Amino acid sequence: MSKLSTQILLLLVLVLPGWLLAQTPMLDSFWAVQFDPGVQAKELLDKLPAGAIFINDAGAGELGEGQYSGLVLSAKAQEQVKNYDFAEEFTREFTCTQPSVAFYMQAPFPMEIYQDSKLLVMRMEYYDMVRVIFLDGRQHPPADAPHTKNGHSIGHWEGDELVVDTTHIAAATFMNNGFSHSDNLHLSERFKLSADGQVLLATQVSEDPEVFQGMAARLMAWRRVANEYIYPYECDASFGE
Amino acid sequence: MLSKKIQGIVIILNAFFLAPLAQAHHSFAVHFVADNTIFVSGTVDSFRFSNPHGMLTFSVVDASGQVAQWRAETNSPNVLKRRGWTKESLKAGDNITVEGFPARDGTSYMRISKVVFADGHELIGQARTAPPAEKD
Repeated sequence: MSKLSTQILLLLVLVLPGWLLAQTPMLDSFWAVQFDPGVQAKELLDKLPAGAIFINDAGAGELGEGQYSGLVLSAKAQEQVKNYDFAEEFTREFTCTQPSVAFYMQAPFPMEIYQDSKLLVMRMEYYDMVRVIFLDGRQHPPADAPHTKNGHSIGHWEGDELVVDTTHIAAATFMNNGFSHSDNLHLSERFKLSADGQVLLATQVSEDPEVFQGMAARLMAWRRVANEYIYPYECDASFGE
Repeated sequence: MLSKKIQGIVIILNAFFLAPLAQAHHSFAVHFVADNTIFVSGTVDSFRFSNPHGMLTFSVVDASGQVAQWRAETNSPNVLKRRGWTKESLKAGDNITVEGFPARDGTSYMRISKVVFADGHELIGQARTAPPAEKD
């Protein structure tokens, strides 16, 4: 290799990562939940898989007992919700049970995002959860690897959309009404900034044939807020005493 | 009197944080009646202000002189801190009227939407919106 080629290669190695990051939408910010996603969400909604059942419980919404937004529950899930004891939600043991990524992403609490070319971190105020999304091209671990409430997330950019795939999510509530997802939940998410960069929109598609048929979809939105920060949640189990 | 600048900041913060926020560890819709309002007056016994819910206990004296203890949970203290609440917002001995959502099981338990003190000042808790717009 000539000296000139070596110099050009070295320059590319040094400059390219920074240039690529400069071309990537920057999601670094404090984000407060926006209850009305607005018409700008249409582009993401149009990309939802055909047949996905929309769950309208994100942000300010909520589903009550026996309401599953039209999802067809498996026999196992029907048995689970039939035997669910809501009184246990007021016990010390239950009080600080963390939700999984499937539920906390739609919770009406703010988050902070820290972004690098190889990594994106979502710091949630809700239950002090911290989510890491790997952007370095790695794959998911083997199926029998440990499952956690945050799961294992890998992502990549498709134009100006961040596409995230999450597996290894430990079983937890799915709708906060007695209906839980299993350890085999698979999440597919798309994140996209509004044209003015002030609103972050996301769709979340869930598949978990162990507990429901087909696919479920949610839509979330957050508004960029300057000079704000995440408060500690520090769940206090004594509520359940 | 708040300056116009501070009033503006408060209005902006309200736009972000005074919207119907309430979610914590248990479902609001499952445990409370969203389209009913009750008013319960009494004297504060204790107040704990920690997530997932703050907890107010207060004594209520009925017409026959019998004392009953009520418990009223708040929505997430994180939400309420941004509305100005602190752990000192309610003190033992305060005479209050609690406005809120009754428990579905009919017990002396409620979710706070507002606390009104004897001098008329108020603490705003969970925003009251048309159901099912509230969580947990």
